[in-house]
Amino acid sequence: MLRAALRGVIANKVRLVLTALAIVIGVAFVAASFIFTDTINARFETLITDISAGVDVYVRPIPPETGNDLVEFGSIPDEILAQVQAVPGVRVAEGAVAGYAQFVGADGDPVGGLGPPTLGFSWQTADELRAMTIAPDNGRAPTGPGEVVSDVATAERAEFGLGDTVTILTLGPPEQFEVVGLANFGSEDNLAGATTAAFELEEARRLFDLEGSYIEISVAAQEGVDAETLATDIDAATGGEFDVKTTEAANADQLSEIGEALGFLNTALLAFAAVAVFVGAFIIANTFRIIVAQRTRELALLRAIGATGGQVTRLVVIEALVVAVIASSIGVLAGIALALLLAALMNAIGFNLPEGPLTIAPRTVIIAMTVGVVVTVVAALLPARKAAKIPPVAAMHEELARTGRKPLRRRAAAGAVVSAGGVGLLLFGLFGSVANPLLLVGIGALVTFLGISILAPLAARPVASTLGWPLPLLFNTTGLLAKENTARQPRRTASTASALMIGVALVVFVAIFAASIKSTIKESIFDNFRADLNASSTNFQIGISPTFAEELAALDEFDTVSSLVFDTASLEEGGTDIIVVDPLLAEEVVNLDPSPGAFAALASADGVVVSSAELEDNGWVVGDTIVMGFPKEPETQMEILGSFGNDDFGQYILNRDFYNTVYDNPFDSLVLATVAPGVDISEARVAADTIAEPYANVQIQNKDELVADLEAQIDTLLQLIFALLFLAIIIAILGITNTLALSIIERTREIGLLRAVGMTRRQTRRMVRWEGVIIALFGAVMGTGIGLFLGWAVVLALADEGLGSFTIPWGQIAVLVVASGVAGVVASIYPAWTASRMNVLDAIAYE
Amino acid sequence: MLEDTAVNGAAARMRNGVKIYGEGTATVRALDGISAEFASGRFTAIMGPSGSGKSTLLHTLAGLDNLTEGTVHIGDTELGSLKDRELTILRREKVGFIFQAYNLIPTLNAEENITLPLSIAGNEPDEAWFNEVVTAVGLEDRLDHRPAELSGGEQQRVAAARALVTRPDIVFADEPSGNLDSKAEAELLAFMRRAVDEFSQTIVMVTHDPIAASYADRIVFLDDGDTVDEMVDPTVDSILEKMKHLGE
Ligand SMILES: Nc1ncnc2c1ncn2[C@@H]1O[C@H](COP(=O)(O)OP(=O)(O)O)[C@@H](O)[C@H]1O
Ligand SMILES: [Mg+2]
Repeated sequence: MLRAALRGVIANKVRLVLTALAIVIGVAFVAASFIFTDTINARFETLITDISAGVDVYVRPIPPETGNDLVEFGSIPDEILAQVQAVPGVRVAEGAVAGYAQFVGADGDPVGGLGPPTLGFSWQTADELRAMTIAPDNGRAPTGPGEVVSDVATAERAEFGLGDTVTILTLGPPEQFEVVGLANFGSEDNLAGATTAAFELEEARRLFDLEGSYIEISVAAQEGVDAETLATDIDAATGGEFDVKTTEAANADQLSEIGEALGFLNTALLAFAAVAVFVGAFIIANTFRIIVAQRTRELALLRAIGATGGQVTRLVVIEALVVAVIASSIGVLAGIALALLLAALMNAIGFNLPEGPLTIAPRTVIIAMTVGVVVTVVAALLPARKAAKIPPVAAMHEELARTGRKPLRRRAAAGAVVSAGGVGLLLFGLFGSVANPLLLVGIGALVTFLGISILAPLAARPVASTLGWPLPLLFNTTGLLAKENTARQPRRTASTASALMIGVALVVFVAIFAASIKSTIKESIFDNFRADLNASSTNFQIGISPTFAEELAALDEFDTVSSLVFDTASLEEGGTDIIVVDPLLAEEVVNLDPSPGAFAALASADGVVVSSAELEDNGWVVGDTIVMGFPKEPETQMEILGSFGNDDFGQYILNRDFYNTVYDNPFDSLVLATVAPGVDISEARVAADTIAEPYANVQIQNKDELVADLEAQIDTLLQLIFALLFLAIIIAILGITNTLALSIIERTREIGLLRAVGMTRRQTRRMVRWEGVIIALFGAVMGTGIGLFLGWAVVLALADEGLGSFTIPWGQIAVLVVASGVAGVVASIYPAWTASRMNVLDAIAYE
Repeated sequence: MLEDTAVNGAAARMRNGVKIYGEGTATVRALDGISAEFASGRFTAIMGPSGSGKSTLLHTLAGLDNLTEGTVHIGDTELGSLKDRELTILRREKVGFIFQAYNLIPTLNAEENITLPLSIAGNEPDEAWFNEVVTAVGLEDRLDHRPAELSGGEQQRVAAARALVTRPDIVFADEPSGNLDSKAEAELLAFMRRAVDEFSQTIVMVTHDPIAASYADRIVFLDDGDTVDEMVDPTVDSILEKMKHLGE
């Protein structure tokens, strides 16, 4: 049996190669996502271990449970350092501060900030405690005001060197510093793509507004002192007020944070792997179905000479297994290449990964191989079972080989049940309250695809006829034949089209989702903002320095200048988004739809204004008191002073003065300004730009620009997703090529006959080409339908989250459908060529 | 050399035709320097033992395959110099085919199959001629049936109608009745005979069945890739006699 199976593989090598490609791509994504994540983890582990090598214990503030943790470091009072140093077993302990510091390049633009963070910290004097080291020729440590040490990579990137003067943005106005040293992190010339600036301690404290405190104390133990014990002693000595951890534990925390931050990448890769594998499964099933059909006689002969049905099934399954193992192995190799590509991509967009080898864990190989093999074999199982049903007499009479087809009514019922199940899961995931809605929605979508693909053969004949109706008019018999050919094998046409359907449905869904977000953004910006100009930060980890709003307000061109802060606070049931306003001015610049008197009350008393929806959900009324948690005040009694209607930005509004007492964040998220009466808006804009000039991270936009900017960000993401989905479409195109090529072989006689009675090669190619186009369009039409439904359901489900308007990007969909048609043409190039080269005499060879 | 151009001009002729299949030691000389002419308006049968080169002769005459050496003419056109496209158009316009089986396109109905060569060329069928041919093969009420719904005899008659519908210069048939029962065979051959008598059609038919061959005006006997004998106005008996002779 094995030998017969191997022969089968060799005999069908071309079609199996095409099939295998689908498996290779799927497996490659699975492997790449694991390799990539493992590699990042391993490299960061090396880096972090490397730079913390001399430290045994870290003392840090207990992290606040709320608040923007990139800004809120919390702090350790000065005197704690002495307490730590006094603990027996401590050899050396030194405090450090850190904060936001961003270099400004020679061109006036800030360096970095859109991806990895822009870090500033104090230079520790104890060599063993410090992460940074300065190579002998690279200058010296910062020892006083006006001096900075940068990492080597940032200096190269921003084109400054030792002795140069650079501008650095921190909390206050931009300042000039002399570059006195260039440092490395262990063996790396940068810290994972971050820009780093180190200052002398007191200078750093001034810049980061941390006078008299530290944000971290690092400790090295005396010889022979156990880190664990020392940590316990230090914790006791400091009264349990701080987060005291051994380096090992602290590093583990940090690694898991990095892991979480990159987790989305892993999820995204695995999602695409799932799509690729799923689409691949269709193509595999289809190929084996055709192979079995073509080998009916051969398989029947095996049965006639005594092979059992089970043996025939096994024969086909073994063939699938051989293909699966080969393709999955190649897939794993391709996955390694893909992981390298991803790493290069990350570096290209500024997230510098530390150097190091790829981590290929045994479990990666095992999982990837298992996915490839199991999917292939399962997909081949159905055709294999069918092969067992071929009666031995089919060896003599081809006509008898047409084994009983599943009655259409049963197919319709099965398809309807599966589709309904899929849609049900999907809707339940979207609208029911479940723990992991995303997974449920994903599975629901897959099951829906499956159900539709079961139903698709029923639609194949009418849809193919409809799509193909102009063909006979345009191309006569060639067109008629193309149309008829797609309708004659509805199962094959449908399952080939189904692969494309999935890719198209996902693209349509994503396009709708993006279009809906865009139009929601646009509506909400025009609804929400009353200000003429809007200043925001180009660095997402840091807001706008408070001095900017002051300077802007001093200008005559502006009437009202008011800023907003977006942050988070904790409630009993978890975190929530808060909006921080100046209650007296907010109404001038932003439309939050407050209840009458709400903002006046907020201006005169410490309390909170809560959205009407939130009040209703919790059964609260104005005047109630609720408990809220802030970084500096974990449990605060807050009186509800009023309500507001527009909760696009958050559910709770705080007064800025109160906020400043319970948060450590001086930055504004947005500065909004209305132009004074009689002042030309473009004139005011020029004035504002002049003010903004030194604040390198501040950008000023009017509403239209704001919309365009946000749309552009969405488009970038969209392109990335499209690029990946494009792979699924490529797999589907391979599937069309495969199916067409196989049916050309099946129709050797017929095509030979057509050629004999006068069909030219060009006409033959045209016939096959239109067949491919119809199949592709069939898939595109089904996919568009499902994509529209998915998009509609998801947008509806997210209406609560503020995704207000369901927008169908008809233009994009039209392009997609046309592109699918073109894909059909591309997919049929090779089969059309084979058909036109077919030997006429093969048609009439009759044994 | 066998010549039969006394009555009319030659519709097709081959000179010194050699066809070699395969390479090296495995070569087969399917046609071995054969020369033959087929007169216009005549029904010629080609007979010979299995493997004698009958099909090869037909295929090379019809422009379905090319000769290794020698020349073929259809009317005044020499086939060797034609490109694929020109050959295709020549087959479409000047030649008709009836094969032993698999003559029809399963997705097209009988009418569409009959008019296939015309519609491929983008031409409208001549209504009167189409009706005449369809009536002659007795398929008037079968026109909207697909091949799967037709009997073997009906299928071959559709093929025959298709071969005639373009009014080709010559029709080639390779054992057209080989798969038919005797009644269906008789109907098909009677139609072919009438096509020659009433429409002056030229037909060249390969067969190894003496009864089929007896419908022809002339028989050419082949062996080992060359003509070995011929016979005019044959009867079943005279054919059997001749075959016995040749077999010795
Ligand atoms: N495509 C081919 N390749 C190799 N040999 C062939 C091919 N077609 C025919 N032959 C050989 O050429 C000879 C003549 O074949 P053919 O013309 O089919 O004979 P007939 O039709 O008289 O039975 C035979 O020996 C046959 O085996
Ligand atoms: Mg033959």
